[in-house]
Amino acid sequence: MAQAPNKRKTDLTGWWFTSPALILLSLFLFYPIVSSLWMSLQIGKGMNLSFGGFANIYRLTQDPVFIHALLNTLTFLVVQVPIMITLALLLAVTLNDSKLWGRSFFRTAIFLPCVTSLVAYSVLFKSMFAADGVINSFLQTLHVISSPIPWLADPFWAKIVIILAITWRWTGYNMIFFLAALQNIDPSIYEAARIDGIPAWARFWKITLPALKPVILFTTVTSTIGTLQLFDEVNNIPTLGGPADSTLTLSLYIYYLSFRFMPSFGYAATVSYVIVALVVVLSFLQFLIAREKQTS
Amino acid sequence: MKNAFSRRSVLGAALAGISFLGATAAFAGTTVTVWCWDKEFNGATMKEAGARYAKAHPDVTLNVVDFAKPDMEQKLQAQLASGTTDGLPDIVLIEDYGAQKYLQSFTKAFEPLSDTKAIDYKTFANYKVALATVGDKTYSLPFDSGVSGMFYRSDYLAQAGYKSADLQDITWEKLIEVGKAVEAKTGHKLLDLDLSDQGLLRIMMQSAGIWYFSPDGKPAIAGNAKFKTVLSTYAKVLQSGIYKPVSGWAEYTGTFTSGETAAAITGVWMTATIKANKDQSGKWSIAPVPKVDGVEGAVHASNLGGSSWYVLASSKNKAAAIDFLAQEWGKDADFYQKILVNQGALGSFLAARDGEAYKASDAFFGGEATWQNFSTWLGKIPGVNYGTFTNEADAAVSAQVPALVKGGSVDDAIKAIDAQLKQQMQ
Repeated sequence: MAQAPNKRKTDLTGWWFTSPALILLSLFLFYPIVSSLWMSLQIGKGMNLSFGGFANIYRLTQDPVFIHALLNTLTFLVVQVPIMITLALLLAVTLNDSKLWGRSFFRTAIFLPCVTSLVAYSVLFKSMFAADGVINSFLQTLHVISSPIPWLADPFWAKIVIILAITWRWTGYNMIFFLAALQNIDPSIYEAARIDGIPAWARFWKITLPALKPVILFTTVTSTIGTLQLFDEVNNIPTLGGPADSTLTLSLYIYYLSFRFMPSFGYAATVSYVIVALVVVLSFLQFLIAREKQTS
Repeated sequence: MKNAFSRRSVLGAALAGISFLGATAAFAGTTVTVWCWDKEFNGATMKEAGARYAKAHPDVTLNVVDFAKPDMEQKLQAQLASGTTDGLPDIVLIEDYGAQKYLQSFTKAFEPLSDTKAIDYKTFANYKVALATVGDKTYSLPFDSGVSGMFYRSDYLAQAGYKSADLQDITWEKLIEVGKAVEAKTGHKLLDLDLSDQGLLRIMMQSAGIWYFSPDGKPAIAGNAKFKTVLSTYAKVLQSGIYKPVSGWAEYTGTFTSGETAAAITGVWMTATIKANKDQSGKWSIAPVPKVDGVEGAVHASNLGGSSWYVLASSKNKAAAIDFLAQEWGKDADFYQKILVNQGALGSFLAARDGEAYKASDAFFGGEATWQNFSTWLGKIPGVNYGTFTNEADAAVSAQVPALVKGGSVDDAIKAIDAQLKQQMQ
């Protein structure tokens, strides 16, 4: 009996301590989320909003620009994330070798792009990939190409530039996660494998990869979320959504709907919930795949 | 004394406080903040106006903040949408294509200058006043007209065998011929185009007396024979190869100011950027814009851009800002002569047209009476209603441009543009 009031007091004290954080969270996180959900049910231009029910969802199905933005975003996702995770994995395994010369230099050099400002490096990439920029000059000097590639004027090449930019920036970030996880693998397992005569490639597939499974899942999910929200690079590298809207992503389309065109805030909120839905679905799928492999 | 604050130290602190107060009072005065783009043009004209106004009102200083145009528009729209007025300027420059969009979306954010009765709108060009009017209130101080011309390197074209007289009455098809000849003889392409920016199409449309929208604001794309002719002409230019594709404003202006390309078909406000390269004096000339062939009533005159100054209702220095606009921009005809010569700013203040500078010839452009030419063309510009969805229409066209470049069907492009525009307008 003496315990109950004490426990209640401890509970209450606990709530008091967490209440400032909870209040701030509710105000700046939960309230905007609920408010934007309400906003996605509104139709109208500018500040003249009125309730529209599911009109915005219907508009999604009829909007060619939205479909195009969705396809672009999914293209970036499907092409860029696997390339980046694979690259990060291979780099991490290579740089984990304690006998490699200049290990810490390479690790730092590959991680450094992650600390650059998104806008600063986008502007730099824009000038590098201009029709008469350094990349074209470089490739022409090496005689890899005979005439300059219209990087930012061609729908296909503009996508390539964006993929290159994102990969350059985020590979190091994911590599660090893999490196950290690799430290946790007991080197004696590898020794035993080597003694047993298992070749390097099999060691990688059968020992390293399964041990890294949770980290691979984590980096894939976070990279998926990041790429689905892609904005800074596509806003700053090509002009206005790229040639023929080839680099228009969902986030960029939301930005245009709110700040470039006659504002349609309700519809923009609906498009942002499409991103939420995609993130939920893809994350769920990825967890599902990871779990299946564990039990099998 | 036990008390940490001795009488002496309190007196000392009080004296210091009062002297600080005095110091700030000495620096007191009004600062009017202006947001605009294009430092050489809009920024420079504003600074000139500020300097003139300061002679009679020394306590008013102007703070002109320079932005890239799309950045400023998006920043303004973002802040107006948020409803916070902290950090908004006193005066802002808004391009005429977007004027109605801002005025109708954020009506309470702008000060209706017609209410102050400080500005006589009859002294300004009618089409500029109309586009900044909602209901019976006018919100702007009309600024520059974007009357267009073809700025070209007379030395390159002379090399290819073209004189000024050859370029006075040409169609776009003839321009393509000229472009091919110039490239063959000089190795320089005629134009540079940013394919995400539909400025050239807008020039063609207005010269043919049409716009994306009909006078009542409805889309005029599908089933519009004139628009089809204009778009087909645009497609011909896109497929001709007489231009260099560029990306972004800096690359666009850098290409013709550096002499890499031979011409730029753009608004008179580009004069400031071109004249900034003083070593090219005498090598430039200006011809009328080519005419769209096949549209009745098409002329050699058009408009690209053009903007006006607006006062924000939340401004703390509203009175000073409005007085400044009314005194300098609304009455000072001599000021308009100065900005015409220095920046190529063709204002909409009608009385300024009688000034000397408008009649003078310019050595930079080979001694032609450039401003007379522009004034003449200004009078011929067909008036169109820009509506509120020009950005959406531009985006719809941009989406179809690569297909047109590759030789795609104009009819398909029209259908797609119309569908996308109608979708965005709901």
